[in-house]
Amino acid sequence: MQASANNLNNTTITDHLVSRCKKGDMHAFRELYNAYSGAMYNICLRMTGSPADAEDTLQDAFMQIFRNIERLENAGSVTAWIKRIVVNHCLSHLRRKKVYFEEVDNIDIEEDNAIVDEDNFAWTVAAIKEAIHILPPGYRTVLNLYIFEEYSHKEIANMLDISESTVKTQYMRAKDKVRQIIKQKNVIR
Amino acid sequence: MPESSFEDFVRQHRQNFEEAGPHPRVWAQLEQQLAPGRKRKVIQLMGRHWLKAAAVLVLMINSVMIYQFIQMKKAQHLTNVAPEMQEAKMYYTAQIEQRLQTIKGYPDALLGLDSMARKELELRNDTYQVLEAELIQNPGNERIKAAMVRYYQLKLDLLDKILEELREKQPVSQKQSDYEREI
Repeated sequence: MQASANNLNNTTITDHLVSRCKKGDMHAFRELYNAYSGAMYNICLRMTGSPADAEDTLQDAFMQIFRNIERLENAGSVTAWIKRIVVNHCLSHLRRKKVYFEEVDNIDIEEDNAIVDEDNFAWTVAAIKEAIHILPPGYRTVLNLYIFEEYSHKEIANMLDISESTVKTQYMRAKDKVRQIIKQKNVIR
Repeated sequence: MPESSFEDFVRQHRQNFEEAGPHPRVWAQLEQQLAPGRKRKVIQLMGRHWLKAAAVLVLMINSVMIYQFIQMKKAQHLTNVAPEMQEAKMYYTAQIEQRLQTIKGYPDALLGLDSMARKELELRNDTYQVLEAELIQNPGNERIKAAMVRYYQLKLDLLDKILEELREKQPVSQKQSDYEREI
C-alpha cells in the first residue's frame, strides 16, 4: 500500500515536471536533467566506451528530449521515452563510427553455449567492466542493451535492424568473450 | 567466489557498475543551447499557426490599405483637382443660397411645389453630385467644367423665374386678404 502511494506521488511529480518542461520552464529542464542525467550518462558511457563521446552523445540526446518533450503524451512513460532517445543517439554515434550489426549463422549459438561453463567462474565488477570495455563494439552493444539496459532480444533486434536469432548469437558470443578476457587476465596476473 | 551465472551476477551488483554522473559542463552547454532555442520556440509556434498568422496579417494590410484609400479619396476634393471651379462654386453657391432663402420665406401653399421639386432646387442635388464626381475623376476635362458652370447658371435662372412668379402672386394674395378683412 505504501509502495503504491509512493508510486502515485512520483507519477504526480513527474506529470507536473513534464508539464512545466512543456511550457519551456528552464528550471524544470534542469530538474529533469538532474533526475536522469546520471543514469543516461552511464548508458552513453557503456555504449560509446569513451567519456568524451558519452558526454557529447548525452548532450545531443538531452537537446532532443527538451525540444520534443511537448510531443510526449503520457508523462508516466517519460523514463522509457528518455532512455530510448539516449539509446538511439548512442546507436547513431556507433553507426557514424562505422560499427555494423550483421547477421550471423544460428548454429553458432549451440557451439557458444557448449563453451560456457559458469559454475566455477568467479566474476567481479571491475573485471567485467574492463572486459566489456575491450569487447568489439558490435558485441559490446548487444551485451549492454540486453544485460544493463534490460531490453529483450526482440527489442534489440528491432533497434539494430537484425534478426532476433542474430541478437541471441551475438549476446552469447559477447558473454563468452568477456569470460575469455577475464580468464586471460587472471592467468597473466 | 563462484557465481551461478553472468546475468545473475550483474543483476545482483547492478549499482556497482554505475559510474559518477556527467561533468557539469554538459549542463552548461545545454543551457547555452536552450537559450536561443526558446526564441526559436516562438518561431516554431508561429510556424505551427502560420495560416492564422498569415490571415491576420492580410486583414491588417487590407485595413491599412482601405484606410489609406479613403484618406486619398477625401484628399481628392474639388479644391485640389480644379481650384478655378472652386471659385465659381463659391460665387454661384452664394447666389443660389440667397435666392433659396428668399423662396423659403414664402408660404408652401403659395410656392406650389411638392417635396421632390423643392429638393431639386437645393444646390447639392443628384445632378450636381454626378458632375462633381466626374470632375474629380477627370480634373482636366473642360466639358465637365463647362457643364458645371451651365448647371449653376440654369439653376440661378430657374430660381429667378420662381421668385419672379412668387413676387407677382404675393401682392394679389395680400390685397385679397385685406379686402376679406374689411368685409
